[in-house]
Amino acid sequence: MRVLFDSFTVLAVSAGAVFFLAGTVGLLRFPDSLSRLHALTKADNLGLGLVVLGLLPQATGPLVALKLITVWLLAQLAGAIVTQLVARAVRRENQEA
Amino acid sequence: MATSWRMPMATDSRNLLAGATTRAAGFCVLWLVLAGYSLGDLPAAAVAVAGATFVSLCLLPPGRWRVSPLGVARLALRFPGQAVMAGVDVARRALDPRLPLRPGFVTYAPRLPPGSARDGFCALASLMPGTLPVGTNEDGTLLVHCLDIGQPAAAQLAAEEAVFMRAVRDG
Repeated sequence: MRVLFDSFTVLAVSAGAVFFLAGTVGLLRFPDSLSRLHALTKADNLGLGLVVLGLLPQATGPLVALKLITVWLLAQLAGAIVTQLVARAVRRENQEA
Repeated sequence: MATSWRMPMATDSRNLLAGATTRAAGFCVLWLVLAGYSLGDLPAAAVAVAGATFVSLCLLPPGRWRVSPLGVARLALRFPGQAVMAGVDVARRALDPRLPLRPGFVTYAPRLPPGSARDGFCALASLMPGTLPVGTNEDGTLLVHCLDIGQPAAAQLAAEEAVFMRAVRDG
């Protein structure tokens, strides 16, 4: 059972790392600020979600698991709201230019 | 964004007190989950909970949103699948050597009236595959940035908004 859990952790955390990498590649390759925002929010959110999912079987108790999920939810919330603010700022700047 | 930093008027002070108590309890639980229980942390926790409750009441006065628990559950169940699709879509485009992007804007006429519920929907839509609302046009429609304007973004947003509206509405 332990081996199964550990394998799941390795797989999920590695997959999460791939999405973080993809998000960063998008940040470097995408042509404009708004496209880069897509890369940052969507790929990194999924990356963090997979890292959290992978770490759940390693949690020493339900409270630790709950903490991991809460951190993910807070990151989602912050990501979504900051994205909105940055997108509006970019739009304002484009209108002024 | 219609954000007001005034404290909500105390026309319905019992409602305000009930809202404040519920939220403070929620923030206490959040603190305990994130920081754990320790007597030495009590002063910091008290300041954090009081501050969070105050800001929360300023930004979203009690009774502003009508929330349907069943609708929220449906939204929450739908979210992981959407997050996976959004992440895979962006990752695929970013890692493809040809960089298959057709970035551009589409206009979407939301059914939600301007207000905090619409702001909430915009934040959620920015986590959905391919769409990023960037603001409101003069005619009240939403300007949405898309990674690929060939995708049916408006239909997707309409479906998302329908699910969102069953969960949260301005009261």
